[in-house]
Amino acid sequence: MLQFDDLRLRVGGTPILRGVTLEVAAGEAVGLVGESGSGKSMTVKSVVRLLPPGSRTEGAVRFDGVDVSSLDAAGLRRMRSRDVAMVFQDPRAVVNPVRTIGDFLTEVLRDQGVGRTEATRRAARALSEVGIGDAVRRLHQRPYELSGGLLQRVVIAAALLTGPRLILADEPTTALDVTTQEEVVAILNEQRAARQVALMFITHDLELAAAVCDRIAVMYAGEIVEVLPAAALHAGARHPYTRALLNSRPGAVAPGERLRTVPGVPQSALTAPPGCVFADRCPHAEARCREVRPVFDGSAACHLLEAR
Amino acid sequence: MILEVRDLRKEFTGVVAVDGVSFAVREGGSLAVVGESGSGKTTCARIVTGLEKATSGTVELRGSVQMVFQDPYQSLDRRQTVRGCLDEVLAHHRKDRSRTAELLDLVGLDRALGDALPRHLSGGQRQRVAIARALAAEPRLLVLDEAVAALDVSIQAQILNLLVDARAATGVAYLFITHDLSVVRHVCEDVVVMSRGKVVEAGPVARVLGAPEHEYTRRLVASVPRAGWTPTRAVSRD
Repeated sequence: MLQFDDLRLRVGGTPILRGVTLEVAAGEAVGLVGESGSGKSMTVKSVVRLLPPGSRTEGAVRFDGVDVSSLDAAGLRRMRSRDVAMVFQDPRAVVNPVRTIGDFLTEVLRDQGVGRTEATRRAARALSEVGIGDAVRRLHQRPYELSGGLLQRVVIAAALLTGPRLILADEPTTALDVTTQEEVVAILNEQRAARQVALMFITHDLELAAAVCDRIAVMYAGEIVEVLPAAALHAGARHPYTRALLNSRPGAVAPGERLRTVPGVPQSALTAPPGCVFADRCPHAEARCREVRPVFDGSAACHLLEAR
Repeated sequence: MILEVRDLRKEFTGVVAVDGVSFAVREGGSLAVVGESGSGKTTCARIVTGLEKATSGTVELRGSVQMVFQDPYQSLDRRQTVRGCLDEVLAHHRKDRSRTAELLDLVGLDRALGDALPRHLSGGQRQRVAIARALAAEPRLLVLDEAVAALDVSIQAQILNLLVDARAATGVAYLFITHDLSVVRHVCEDVVVMSRGKVVEAGPVARVLGAPEHEYTRRLVASVPRAGWTPTRAVSRD
């Protein structure tokens, strides 16, 4: 359903993505995991062409086989309002602060010609589906009257209302407390399974990605360095960067033991070496790693794995 | 004990943020105060460091205290070089200025970065500077308020190792304010769990997080994503 075909992105001449290739099947959940500057957000934003000014892309993003760069304004609007829904980190940046929750939820439906009574009925049902009780009262409330967790559920309800086939979620629970995160993630899983909606889920938390997604794509410096089934995260990780991420979490070693860290700082597509993007920080890097770009073999891009 | 907090209470116009909280940090020890937003943990930290005044209760501190904040982008002067920043603290506390290089080594910063301004540094490097600045005064207690929360995983690991090393090298005690239980398990010996301004459970980390007794601690432990974890919807609390 969704296909990234060697997607390259430059913003004002600065490389951001160095060739992203990935497919998302209908109903599938794919997690994009990586540190800051790895290009996760830009990859997802390119689907709905929400890229910053001065962006130039090469390669293609196809939704249902259609290159999104070929869509005209009407086609793009249609895709954004019906086929693809978005959930961001900060719900308060998304919901109009001076209008009611009801206005926010019914706006798109009304725009699509649904009558006021029917739109309100659907909005109330959507709220109860994401675990918000007392829906009628909530519809009359304004964003400041709701907690962050509750408001994020409202945003998810809105995302589901138009019956999308793909949800793009960019760190949707990062700003929430862990207990609230669990609820929001449980609701997202439940609703996604019930409706067979595909999901691209951006997070920096590998375990969270594994709990939400079918497959996990690990990004570094504008490239996908590894794709693996969520269930194989711990036993199946092959790329040195994925292993480094897993090893550097405080839970990876016994309390008191030293964390196995990777030297240096996360790089971007601009600062990464021309060969393997991770070569500067990789404990196993050899000369060719810095010079020759490894080929993605379907699961990982690493010279050292080719040899075996 | 380097720090003893007894029956602390803090009211902000009509809201009780901290309600009868007591805890203590051993000389050279490491205590975590964990809780979610609104639990009152940060207010406790701010009272301990004197940034906030308690409505009632006592704070007994036997030695100097320094604080490290979450956001290294806001806590450093953007016009001051790393060396300038450390020299200032050393001079103010009448410490030997030659310790600047030693401090840079202690927090794992290249000495060449002494002349750099904050804007030339990465987030992790800035947090190292903030920690070096806090340690420059040779405090007996360091209060760390979500000091690794904003960092990328690989950088967070470097900073956690640094904090373990710095404690071993200087004997400084830590009061760790955090929401991250895996960080608590890694760097703390004792933990205080706060919810809605009150302490709900306290004790050694292995016991409290390994076999939590209070319902809230259990929920907190159970909601951390981990291998084999399936998120479940709790009974709605709204």
